Amino acid sequence: MEFKNFSLFINQTKVNRFADDLAGGKIMSTLCKKCGKQYYPPAADCSSCMGSEMEWKELKAEGKLLTFTKIHVPPEHFAVRQPLMPFSSIQFEPCPIGIIEVGKELPIMGWIPKMDIKKIKVGMKMKASPFALPDGKITIVLEPV
Amino acid sequence: MKKVGIVGIGHGKFGVRSDASLRELVFEAVKACMDDSGVTLKEVDSMVTGVAGDEFSFGIQPSAQVHDYIGFHPKPNFRVEAACATGSAALRTGWMNIASGLADVVLVVGVEKMTELPTSTATEIMGRAGDATWEYPFGTTFPGYYAMIANAHMAEYGTTEEQLARVAVKNHYYGSLNPYAQMQKEITLEKAITSFTVAYPLKLYDCSLITDGAAAIILASEEKAKSISKKPIWIAGLGCGTDAMRLGDRKSLTSLEATRVAARAAYKMAGVGPSDIDIATAHDCFTIAEIVAYEDLGFCEKGEGGKLIEAKETYVGGRIPVNVDGGLKSKGHPLGATGVSMAIEITKQLRGEADQRQVKNAEIGLTHNVGGSGQVSFIHIFRRE
Ligand SMILES: CC(C)(COP(=O)(O)OP(=O)(O)OC[C@H]1O[C@@H](n2cnc3c(N)ncnc32)[C@H](O)[C@@H]1OP(=O)(O)O)[C@@H](O)C(=O)NCCC(=O)NCCS
Ligand SMILES: [Zn+2]
Repeated sequence: MEFKNFSLFINQTKVNRFADDLAGGKIMSTLCKKCGKQYYPPAADCSSCMGSEMEWKELKAEGKLLTFTKIHVPPEHFAVRQPLMPFSSIQFEPCPIGIIEVGKELPIMGWIPKMDIKKIKVGMKMKASPFALPDGKITIVLEPV
Repeated sequence: MKKVGIVGIGHGKFGVRSDASLRELVFEAVKACMDDSGVTLKEVDSMVTGVAGDEFSFGIQPSAQVHDYIGFHPKPNFRVEAACATGSAALRTGWMNIASGLADVVLVVGVEKMTELPTSTATEIMGRAGDATWEYPFGTTFPGYYAMIANAHMAEYGTTEEQLARVAVKNHYYGSLNPYAQMQKEITLEKAITSFTVAYPLKLYDCSLITDGAAAIILASEEKAKSISKKPIWIAGLGCGTDAMRLGDRKSLTSLEATRVAARAAYKMAGVGPSDIDIATAHDCFTIAEIVAYEDLGFCEKGEGGKLIEAKETYVGGRIPVNVDGGLKSKGHPLGATGVSMAIEITKQLRGEADQRQVKNAEIGLTHNVGGSGQVSFIHIFRRE
C-alpha cells in the first residue's frame, strides 16, 4: 500500500510499512535496537543514540486523552465545495480530533467520530484503532473505553 | 560583544492591501525607515529579508524581488524563514551581521502578502507548518493546534473562554488607537464570545488576522548608531529556543518550552528579569497564545495567565502592558513582517513616540515571537540607554 493513503501527500519515507500494517489492523511503532528508545510516529532513525537499526513493534494503543479540538474552518484539501444549485447550501459538521498518550510518552493522533465535542474531556481513557475509509485511504480513530 | 542599536523604523499600513504587491509593500516600509533615520540605502552595508511562505510570494527568492525593487543590489541580501517568527529571525540575523563585524549598518525587512489567496488555501499552507506527514492527515490547521493548547490549558488550570475573549477585547481596543492596524475597531466581550467557532474552543475573535504588510528597521553598530541617531534603542538581549515538531511530543501542552528557553537566554544576556520589563509585545496569534506567553515570560505564575488579563494588568497602567499596539489580533499578522513590527512598536514606546498608547517612561521593552505552534521562539530585549 502507498504511504500516501495515510499521509495524503507525502509518499517517500523509510517507514512506508506503517501504512501496510495500519491496513492490516495494527498501529506500529519502532524501537531502537541499540538504546531501546521507542518511537511513535515510527522513525527510521534514533535521535537518542544516532543509530539506525530499528525494529517494528505493535502498540497497545490505549491511553489518556491529552487534548482535542474540532476544526470548523478546514484546510483546502478538506474543505467543502459549495453546491452548484443556486440558493442552496451544504451544512458542514466536522469530526473532532484528539491526541492520546500511550505507554510512556507516545502520542497518537486520531479522529473522534463517535463523540459530541461537549462530552470530550481531557484525561478520559480512549483507544486508538486503524480505520479503512470508503475511498481506500487508511486512518486512525479514537474512541472511549 | 559589539553593541547594536535601532536607528530607523518604518511601518507600512497593515490590512487587506489589494492595492499593492509584495515588493511595493516593502518599498513603503523602507521609504518610511529612510525618512525616520535620515539614512539612505547608499549608507547601508547589508540587508536581511524575512518572508515566511513561498506560496504567499508566488515564487521562491522573494528576497530578490525586494532588493531589486528598492535598488539595493549588488550588496548582500538573503532571505530568512521561521514561519510566524520570520521577522524576529531576520532581526536576529541583522544583529549577527553587525555583532560579528561583517557590517556596520544593516537593513532588516519583513513582509508577507497573504490575502491574494483564499482563506482555505492560506489555512492549508499554514496548517502544514505543523507536521505535514503525521498531523496534517487529521485536518489540522493553525487555529486547530492552538485550540488543542487551549483545551489542555483549560483542563489543567480552569482558564475560561471569557478570559480568552478578554485578550481580544484588549487588543482590539489598542488596535483602534493604532493607525497602522488592520482592524481599527473596538469589540465587546459579548461580540467576541458569540462569534463563530473556528476550532473549538477558539472563535473568530480568538484568531489573529490574515494580513498583507511590511515593516523595516535599520540597525547600526554602536559608533554608527550614535552618529546617525540622537536616541538609538539598544538590543540588550536575544534569545531563541526550539521544541518538538508535533504537539503530542512536547513535554507540556500548556506551555511553550521554546519560549521558556528563549526567555531565559534573553533575560540573562540583558541582565534583567520579568519584573524589569516596562512594555512587551507577545505572540498573540490566538488569544490563548497570549495567556500562555504571560506565564512563559514570567509575567505571572504558571496557570495564572487568565487571571492576569481579567485583572487588566496587561493594559497601559497595569503591571505589565502587553500588545498595546493591537497585537497580531487586531494590528494584523503578515507572517514575515510581524517580528519586525513588534520591534518597531517597542522602539516607539522607548522613544516616547507611541501617542495615546504610550507607556509612561518605558525604559526596557521585550518582543516575543513564536514560529509555528511553538517549534521556534525568539525573544528580544530592548533598552533606551
Ligand atoms: C479566522 C479566519 C479563518 C477567518 O477568515 P474568513 O472566514 O475567511 O473571514 P473573512 O475574510 O471572510 O472575513 C469575514 C469577516 O470577519 C472579519 N474577520 C476575519 N478574520 C477575523 C479575525 N481573525 N478576527 C476578527 N475579525 C475577522 C473580516 O474583517 C470580515 O469582516 P466584514 O464582513 O465586516 O468585512 C482567519 O482570519 C484565520 O485563519 N485566522 C488565523 C490566521 C493564522 O492562523 N495565522 C497564523 C497564526 S501563527
Ligand atoms: Zn537509540
